[in-house]
Amino acid sequence: MNTLRLLVPRIISRRASTLSHNNNATSQIEAPVVSDKLIKTLELEVRGNEPAVIKSFCKFAVTAGNHFGLETKSWSLKKPVHERYTVLKSVHIYKKHRVQYETRTYYAFLQYHKLTGSTADTLLEYVERNLPEGVALKATKVEVQEMPEHLH
Amino acid sequence: MNITLIKTIPNILKFPAANSARLLHLTAVSNKNQAGRYKNTPRKNFPLTYEMANPPHQIAHRKSWNSWNTSNVEGGNRPSETAVEDQFIRKFVQGTWHALFVSEIIIKRQHNLIRIAGLVHRGVMPRKMYFLIGYTEEFLSFWLQCPIKMELQSVADKRHVVFKYV
Amino acid sequence: MMNLSRNIERVPFRSIEKQLVASYCNSSPQTQTKQEEFRALNIRNVKDPFQTRRRLQKTAVFPPRADQMPVDQDWGSVWPGPRSFHPATVPLPVRQGFTEKGAPPPNKFNNAELMKIPNFLHLTPPVIKRQCEALKKFCTPWPKALDNEDKIQKNFPIEVISSDYCYSSPTIRDPMARIITVKFKLASLKLDDRARDKFLRLVGPRYNEENDTVTIVTDRCPLKKQNYDYAMYLVTALFHESKKVEPWEEMKSEADMEIYCWENNASKKNIEALFGCKSEEIPNAAEYSEAVSHYMNEGENDYTISKYGEAVKKLLKLQGTN
Repeated sequence: MNTLRLLVPRIISRRASTLSHNNNATSQIEAPVVSDKLIKTLELEVRGNEPAVIKSFCKFAVTAGNHFGLETKSWSLKKPVHERYTVLKSVHIYKKHRVQYETRTYYAFLQYHKLTGSTADTLLEYVERNLPEGVALKATKVEVQEMPEHLH
Repeated sequence: MNITLIKTIPNILKFPAANSARLLHLTAVSNKNQAGRYKNTPRKNFPLTYEMANPPHQIAHRKSWNSWNTSNVEGGNRPSETAVEDQFIRKFVQGTWHALFVSEIIIKRQHNLIRIAGLVHRGVMPRKMYFLIGYTEEFLSFWLQCPIKMELQSVADKRHVVFKYV
Repeated sequence: MMNLSRNIERVPFRSIEKQLVASYCNSSPQTQTKQEEFRALNIRNVKDPFQTRRRLQKTAVFPPRADQMPVDQDWGSVWPGPRSFHPATVPLPVRQGFTEKGAPPPNKFNNAELMKIPNFLHLTPPVIKRQCEALKKFCTPWPKALDNEDKIQKNFPIEVISSDYCYSSPTIRDPMARIITVKFKLASLKLDDRARDKFLRLVGPRYNEENDTVTIVTDRCPLKKQNYDYAMYLVTALFHESKKVEPWEEMKSEADMEIYCWENNASKKNIEALFGCKSEEIPNAAEYSEAVSHYMNEGENDYTISKYGEAVKKLLKLQGTN
């Protein structure tokens, strides 16, 4: 599975750096201990031309979120956005005869609540890799941070 | 007789514009939808695949798209590039797999991966077919700078894809 | 005239040509090898009758793999990743397509419609579960103490919002991904009134009064990290700039005030003179001060005037007299 193979080295290396920090007293360069990020909400906006594919994808993403033990919900817009493009049927003349081309964009939204940075990375990687053809995705992270010390 | 003829000729030449205007017959342009539609033949022996049997207005109802990408969603990226590349892929595959494709060429784009799918007639030896797959993937990925995958299904007889005869 | 001459020329040559080719073709292969130095030019492109068309070797086609699949197989390893539909691998009797009434839809073999639609055969529920279990070891749990919105708001007041985009294109970069939005409640900065006033003047329309939120959007740098750093720099600069007191700010007199403040005005002094004590000790002074401020800030209307009148009556204990 592509997902797994690509995910492993990145995160293991992160773990390995913290391990060396604990065990190897002689190591010269010590990786700084970076505390994990806190992500309040992770919202995915899914767009596509085929509603059935989007529905299946949302079902998959919700299932994955539940398996990760996250608060997950999804909803979709009732009506698609119609983009119409009207042109003359003939090349230059006959204004009364037009053709209309239409693209419909269906929207769906997914929300995961209360994730840590590593969970969000893992989940996003997994979900994005399984994004089907013809579906665009926008992932918005709302990260919460402490007030920096110089602003107290 | 001859004299009368000679007499009449100048009369016609006198008003060339008026005469030609009267001779030119104008009708309203026939703005009939005809793209992607097939007419019945007298013997009803013209084979149509499922794709051909359904006219373009049935797209998304009875048949789906041949290109799958995110260019046509609202705010989609690179619509023109995608269209040109798809056309290039179709031309290249049609030429490379000459007379072997019995369906339309389906191009699906997932991230940067391009999948080319379709039905292929078993007209050449399997070894040649494997060569063609590798050849197409290699060349297209070199030109388009994307990984390409050919996912084909072979068809024993061209008649198997015929949906109906018109 | 020209045409005629051409036709005349052609007629005899054609017959000669025919004879030539025929004679060449009829000659046996042995004679051919003997006189190899001359070959007749095959102008008319007459085919060699001895040349037989090579028959295509029919290779055996195996029956579909789906027929031999056991019922309890592990589907996740049969169909491990995303792939176009293939009828020989999927042991399901799926059909797809519209037909006139009465006829069954086209079956899965030789069906291009099934190959078009993106399938989720690699994401069956047990496979998702298995993959999620495998991925879980890279996850960390959400801290238990931060269980409600208020606690998050209190301990982590700054919200940093960023977006990632996923499109089908050769590049994974999207210019929109650089935009960073930083949001925080103004109350969390703990500014005093003067600094708060200055802060609001500096941020301008980026402050939303309804929910006391400051929103800073940065998109001028090319990278997300740079935009984030820039946004945090802006917050810091705004904070320290609003805390700073310039010499000219001290020169702000009563005439420069944008709102009426009862504390600094003659009204307070007059009351204190009238009652002969501090304004805090005077009963109903708070109500009076509020009424005066309302009257001065909101302008003269029935409501403020009547409110002011009542406050004055209360303050001077004139209840009952009309």
